[in-house]
Amino acid sequence: MPTITLIQAINTALDEEMNRDERVMLLGEDVGKRGGVFLATEGLQQKYGPDRVIDTPLSEAAILGAAVGLAAHGMRPVAEIQFADYVFPGIDQLFSQAAKLRYRSGGQFTAPMVVRMPSGGGVKGGHHHSQSPEAHFAHTAGLKVVVVSTPYDAKGLLKTAIRDDDPVVFMEPKRLYRAVKEEVPSDDYLIPIGKAAVRREGRDITLVSYGGPMVETLKAAEEMAAAGVEAEVIDLRTVMPWDKEAVLNSVAKTGRLLMIAEAPRTASVASEVAATVSEELFDQLLAPPLRVTGFDTPYPLAQDKLYMPTVTRILNAAKRLLDY
Amino acid sequence: MVQEKIRFQPFSSEPIRLVDEQGHWIAPFEHGLPPEQLQRFYRDMLAARLLDEKLVILIRTGKTSFIAPHAGHEAAQVGIAHALRKGHDWLFPYYRDMGLVLAMGVPLVEIFGQTLGNAADPAKGRQMPSHPGSRPLNIFTVCSAIASHVPPAAGAAISMKLRRTHQVAVCTFGDGATSEGDWHAGLNFAAVQGAPAVFVCENNRYAISVNISKQTASQNIAVKAHAYGIPGYYVDGLDVLASYFVMQEALERARAGQGASLVELVVHRFGAHSSADDDSRYRSREELAAERQQDPLLRYQRFLEKQGLWDAQWANELRLEISKELEAALQEAQKAGEPDPLQMFDDVYAARPWHLEEQRRLVAEELQS
Repeated sequence: MPTITLIQAINTALDEEMNRDERVMLLGEDVGKRGGVFLATEGLQQKYGPDRVIDTPLSEAAILGAAVGLAAHGMRPVAEIQFADYVFPGIDQLFSQAAKLRYRSGGQFTAPMVVRMPSGGGVKGGHHHSQSPEAHFAHTAGLKVVVVSTPYDAKGLLKTAIRDDDPVVFMEPKRLYRAVKEEVPSDDYLIPIGKAAVRREGRDITLVSYGGPMVETLKAAEEMAAAGVEAEVIDLRTVMPWDKEAVLNSVAKTGRLLMIAEAPRTASVASEVAATVSEELFDQLLAPPLRVTGFDTPYPLAQDKLYMPTVTRILNAAKRLLDY
Repeated sequence: MVQEKIRFQPFSSEPIRLVDEQGHWIAPFEHGLPPEQLQRFYRDMLAARLLDEKLVILIRTGKTSFIAPHAGHEAAQVGIAHALRKGHDWLFPYYRDMGLVLAMGVPLVEIFGQTLGNAADPAKGRQMPSHPGSRPLNIFTVCSAIASHVPPAAGAAISMKLRRTHQVAVCTFGDGATSEGDWHAGLNFAAVQGAPAVFVCENNRYAISVNISKQTASQNIAVKAHAYGIPGYYVDGLDVLASYFVMQEALERARAGQGASLVELVVHRFGAHSSADDDSRYRSREELAAERQQDPLLRYQRFLEKQGLWDAQWANELRLEISKELEAALQEAQKAGEPDPLQMFDDVYAARPWHLEEQRRLVAEELQS
């Protein structure tokens, strides 16, 4: 079993799916000759040709809108948005067309497509190369939203997303592209959309996170373990629809929920999970659910590391919960 | 083959017209169409007009919530419909295309079902009236957001090229749509890809209340095709035969692998923008009266008369027959009743996730209590 990075896992998943199904094709800015600015699609145009790996005009509206038409007509397009921050010029296509086509046509037309996008901060990318806009997508009926944190998940979830009959927004924390490596099977495997992973078992407190901050969350859990506190760590993996059952089961056991996410706090995925836990497990909670998140500011370059959830903030919030 | 058949030059200074106001055939070629087809054009234009009148009655009697009148667009819409290979090519229409979808073969019962938002609507009453669609006929369901269907039309056309299906994606819109970013993104991408797409502007010179002079500084819409490196045809859209023949040429050009084109069909909008609009606030009654003198049905009637294919008795019988069809379809649609309320939770995704199951259960309980 080869040990590969997250970006290699994505490249492998795309290669395997294009090889498996000739309807699968890629489109985006620089995805062809260059192989994408992060090299996620490296070598695929050479292998599958310029018709199946299309270098598009510099237009997110064209990429996303064309993906809708390609999908409706029978292809399985995987669109790349160069940075999640750049999705906004194409957002009408994602919200008005991709997300709503099945509903507004009464199920007559569908848009089975994947929109891949590098998201999050931590690479000194500045404001427009660092945002985590998943809440916008999660708030839009008709879209499924995946945020990966490991190479193994990236391959298995991307393959599932490509085979899914709905539009899937697939977010790749760019700071993890080459920062994490693990053994990834060379064969075909799928990870279901909507299922969380328990990264660490524990009885005292539940830490729920996804994407980039899984790194800090797991570090915090290790430090807590050294201090004798056993944290259960859940990686949501899919934020729409998120795995309520996994979260409730864990919090029912520990009585404490700490949500950790990089996106701004207000009206976020973290808020949604915390609210649901409050509604459903109020009597079993030993403390109110807390959130450690990015801030309700635009993403700041100079405070890159401070904006994202730090291990210190996670530990401080965990202490509040444990001392409540 | 296609080169030999080319009849129309792009970027003409005057709108391409084959029949003049008096009904004379003025083209330098024979139309070559059989009498039945010529009469069919008239029938479809008349049906479109009578449908429009029926929709006006439905709004005035409070039976529907919205209409976007299409009277004045009949020649353009019937010309487009007859140039397409129905059920083979794909149509990406906009909200003022009710006459077009009727001529494409969408059953009247479905049209009225969509207008009433009831169980006779194949889209389950999800959208406001004037937003039809049909999977069997490859008619992409209309979306309200202006020009948002243009990039998907480009994408479908790219798929047609990749899969060598010999289909064409035809995308219609009003002049207002040409100001949207999506419009430029879609035309540019289709042009770059040499995709089989025909973009068709039904230019009635008003985007709700905004006159074309405030919409664009271009001399017309067709010239915008220069920017994308594709042909742009400037056409009299009140002339059904000009609309038909230019569309046919653009479609065959696309089908033969020669890429996308832009067709501007200049029309009049005899009604207001919609049932929620009062057009007397921004255009004079004199202007409208002058436009009504150029009724596309009258011009085509004059043409048919000269061919010996029109007389008052035939037209009256046709009018009666279509009126009966309209009334029967409306009655049938009205009988369909309301859609199942729990259908609200269907078709959001291929399968219902847990959160929609929960919300559906909530409504089901409320309905039972």
